[in-house]
Amino acid sequence: MSIDALNTLKLSGLVVLLAPLLGAILAGALGPKVLRSRSHWPAILGVGAALAASINIFMTIYGAPAGEASARIPIYDWILSGAGSSFRVEFLIDPLTSLMLLTVTGISLLVVIYSRDYMREHDKPERGYERFFAFLALFVFAMVALVLGGNFLLLYLGWEAVGLCSYLLIGFYYSKPAAAAAAKKAFLVNRVGDFGFGLGILLIYLSFGTLEYGAVFEMVQNGVLASGEPLAQGRITAIALLLLCGACGKSAQLPLHVWLPDAMEGPSPVSALIHAATMVTAGVYMIARCGAIFTASTTAMTVVAIIGALTALFAATIALVQMDMKRILAYSTISQLGYMFLGIGVYAADSAVFHLFTHAFFKALLFLGAGSVMHAMGGIIDVRYFGGLRKLLPWTFLTFLVGSLALSGFPGLAGFFSKDEIIHHALSSHWILGGVGLLTALLTAFYTFRMVFLAFFGRERVPEGVHAHESGKWMLAPLLLLSVGAIGVGYLGVGAKPFHEFLAPVFEHTFVANNPAIWHGHASDHAGFWEHYGLMIVSGGLAIFGIIGAYFLYARELWIPGLVKATVPRTYKALLGKYFVDEAYDATIVTPARQVGRFCVGIDNWFIDGLIWFVAAVPRAIAYGLRLMHAGGMQGYGVSMVAGIAIIVVLLFWM
Amino acid sequence: MPASNLLTQLLPELILLVGACGLLFLGATRLAASRSFLPFAGVLVLVAALVVTIRRGEPDGSFAAMGLWISSLTHYVRWVALSVGILILLVNWYLPVQEERGEFVALILLSLLGVLLTASANDWLVLFFAIELVSIPTYILIALSRLDQRAAEASVKYFFLGALSAAILAFGLSFLYGASGTTQIQHIAGGVISLTLPSTGELGSIAMIGFLFVLAGLAFKVAAVPFHVYAPDVYEGAAAPITGMLGFVPKLAGFVALIKLFAAIGWNLPIEIKWLVWILAAVTMTAGNVIALLQDNVKRMLAYSSIAHTGYMLVALLIGPVAGEGPMHDGVAALLFYIAVYGAMNLGAFAMIASFGRKHGELETLDDMNGIASQAPAVALALAICVFSLMGFPPTAGFIGKLYILTAAFSFSADHAFAQPLLVLAIVAVVNTVISAGYYLRIVAAAYVGKSSTPANPTGGFTLRWGLAVCSLAMLVLFVWPRGLAGQASRATAAIHDSVSAAHTVVRVDTDFGNAQVDRTSP
Repeated sequence: MSIDALNTLKLSGLVVLLAPLLGAILAGALGPKVLRSRSHWPAILGVGAALAASINIFMTIYGAPAGEASARIPIYDWILSGAGSSFRVEFLIDPLTSLMLLTVTGISLLVVIYSRDYMREHDKPERGYERFFAFLALFVFAMVALVLGGNFLLLYLGWEAVGLCSYLLIGFYYSKPAAAAAAKKAFLVNRVGDFGFGLGILLIYLSFGTLEYGAVFEMVQNGVLASGEPLAQGRITAIALLLLCGACGKSAQLPLHVWLPDAMEGPSPVSALIHAATMVTAGVYMIARCGAIFTASTTAMTVVAIIGALTALFAATIALVQMDMKRILAYSTISQLGYMFLGIGVYAADSAVFHLFTHAFFKALLFLGAGSVMHAMGGIIDVRYFGGLRKLLPWTFLTFLVGSLALSGFPGLAGFFSKDEIIHHALSSHWILGGVGLLTALLTAFYTFRMVFLAFFGRERVPEGVHAHESGKWMLAPLLLLSVGAIGVGYLGVGAKPFHEFLAPVFEHTFVANNPAIWHGHASDHAGFWEHYGLMIVSGGLAIFGIIGAYFLYARELWIPGLVKATVPRTYKALLGKYFVDEAYDATIVTPARQVGRFCVGIDNWFIDGLIWFVAAVPRAIAYGLRLMHAGGMQGYGVSMVAGIAIIVVLLFWM
Repeated sequence: MPASNLLTQLLPELILLVGACGLLFLGATRLAASRSFLPFAGVLVLVAALVVTIRRGEPDGSFAAMGLWISSLTHYVRWVALSVGILILLVNWYLPVQEERGEFVALILLSLLGVLLTASANDWLVLFFAIELVSIPTYILIALSRLDQRAAEASVKYFFLGALSAAILAFGLSFLYGASGTTQIQHIAGGVISLTLPSTGELGSIAMIGFLFVLAGLAFKVAAVPFHVYAPDVYEGAAAPITGMLGFVPKLAGFVALIKLFAAIGWNLPIEIKWLVWILAAVTMTAGNVIALLQDNVKRMLAYSSIAHTGYMLVALLIGPVAGEGPMHDGVAALLFYIAVYGAMNLGAFAMIASFGRKHGELETLDDMNGIASQAPAVALALAICVFSLMGFPPTAGFIGKLYILTAAFSFSADHAFAQPLLVLAIVAVVNTVISAGYYLRIVAAAYVGKSSTPANPTGGFTLRWGLAVCSLAMLVLFVWPRGLAGQASRATAAIHDSVSAAHTVVRVDTDFGNAQVDRTSP
């Protein structure tokens, strides 16, 4: 890559990174006194600048000559570690980075614009308006840092920082107990994953003596440690599984998925941006980035695929019976993230990233649409309390319908192509994985349209005392733009597959080179009509079948769901109770931990405090005793000093 | 050595001296009637000295005369002391009463002059005078800082105990002179060490006693246990802005002197001294942190916190420059980095206390801090940054400082004789950091969560706020970009590395030939 191009990348990278930070600082510093109801401007401008710079990065990478589309850009030495080595602040910019940056900044900009109206009531900003935009911009900064960083240290910092922003935004309405509890839960569950993640990074450092991506991956691929010894299979598997642990926490995969549904207590734009489109995909990004490490261990890859498939199915079944639109979408997000993990696990990282990309559009669209409904319904989002909204909220309905079709995998929309690819690769890996993918696709279409029919069709009813109104233009514009994306972006993966073509250099030495399916000649490049289109027809058919089924059950024959509920009450209860995972954690982990906590408080109050009191009391008693002798604090101090020396001298010379 | 050369080499010190004398005179004239003139002039003097220091660049270490040696360490200490000195003046801008402002500013400058001289001293006598020059102005500053009986009491207490410690120090220095026959600290040419026995390269018993007493005298200056007893009373008695100075300036001088003391024997510490410093460090940080937990008075709490920080720095001192270069291996570089960061964060915390008052005067207890955040969000944020930095929490410079000390403690190879104890000490330090969160977080919690029915009165004026702002910003900037300061700190240890390698040369000569010639000529 030419010097000019590198300089462009460096400059643009710095803008992408720092513009949102500046926006956050300005919104936070000037918001309360100066900007007030204009506090969204620093965030919009900062994120907008970041988007512009991301486009610039994308164009530079896109225009780079073949084989040179990756650049490592050192910014400065951060922490000196002596003898010339140091931890660096550096960027790694390659096709994967540039796509992630586009996704993150693009969706963020739309969400920030949307929030301008969402965070107001009767055109008066809510309490904490400037805080909201400061945190949102800060989140963009952290997420960009996570994506841009050229080593594991920066990845970790970004990882923790997005977690912090997520915590702050889930708990945005901190005076509401449910929100505060959800924020705490998200933070604590993520700690479990991050603990493993941190250990994984430490193990990388201990093994390879560096945290720089390129150096680590090269050593992994050569199978050596920093000391020159061969790399044991067990060690690389351990590293991969520890990193996976972090990914499961951040991307809400089994068994650490419990925080994401609760996280819906945050404002809807936050759910759209952080808990659907960007932060939760950090796990997928991380595994794709560390392809060298994961593909070096078939065990780890199998685990990734199984976790993904299980999570996809598991979350989809729970979504079948939930009543809260945002919760349905949350379980749907978990399920779709499961697809991405499944895709990576079967060595189809490009398809997984493609799904990440399309999912960002339609899921952000759905959450923002749900937010629009919630805004109109005066903060109520439970489909039992309203229905038939399609006339009241025509634009919201239209865009929500587009998003739902895309999520269901309706032929021709974004979700169809990307999901189909993953199922295709899963099938060629193992029929069970593919079967689970297909079943989940059916369920996805069903639960999505169950929600659509319940909310927008049937008799028109709104909660009492609510004056339903369509949202303002600041909210509708992002919805429309996202709808266009949800319809269109899927075609980037069709025909010549420009999306995959662009990503290919990132994965050619990792996921592609190590793919056992290709080794065994399963690649279906010269297959006939059925091999090419059969699966598309099947999965498209399943989606349509699911939609029709939902229509039948929730728009026409409304008595059937009741009958089903009555026939299999246990199953229904298990699904409604989310398989009682929360309760199980409560019984096995939370309650015992509370007990231990109570025990520790007891120890703290009685033993430690007593000890501290003792530690403090001894000198005081001595001082008091000395004071009796000398009648005055100062002499006591002097004596204790001299006594100190005396004791030291005696100890040194006569002991 | 021509006199003009001496004058140019000592230009920053001379600027401070002349400036201090000038301010004393100006304080007696009509100019003193202006509220801001004298502190402003003081800042100008410091800026001039700082500019001269930085323009002059790093000294090559060739200038050594009259008991002074201008080395890279001098350079580092000069600019750190002068920069923090400017912040100290900003924070103390409106503190003294009108008529005493000239003396007050002049005394701060004189105390800083003492630090600068300590850093260039290469003679025990010069070192002694320099250290006393640091201390004596502080006794007066405490008394001038507020019209309160407690301030007078603190001043007198500090003076008497300081005098005692000076006596101990002088006593120890006389032993060192007796053992070596010279008052020179370090022979520059040839790098020969003056204190060690020529036969073994170790300390003789006379020198050992001297070493111990000097150590004790300096332990008072840095407030290490058991010589810390004065600190809480004195910190509580003095006004908060001057306490921010008390926590830093004598400590910097004390640690620089300790570095010189240890370098004088080439960090070739006898095992007893190693264990002594080990215990001193462990006890100092533990006692500081644990007793701080019990305090309700914020200033006493911060006083114990400052004692605890002495403990962390003693760890770095014990590690020494033996294991390698750069702050992740070299304890002295880590110490120099840490103390600069500590100066700013400690000053920031005290500046915050000074920026509010209650009916009864200064903020005293934790309860007095309740609800500061809702009243002044910016000040509370700056306080939070400084306190998190004291705790060693990212993203602040305190984190980097602790990181350097801890990694330096881990950098000895496993077969090194003292590697294991250092490891344990590092663990003690980590445990202490956790304990310290117990009281630091109480400060932040009081400011943010606590509720107060009566608002606190803002005091101190805008210079105080600016000083606070700079302190807290510096914590963030030094986290993002620690390299400048860390690089300076590791270059500052070059002279010490020379003495260490010299010490090892002496030992090697001894073991090879058995009769090394030691240069005992005094300058």
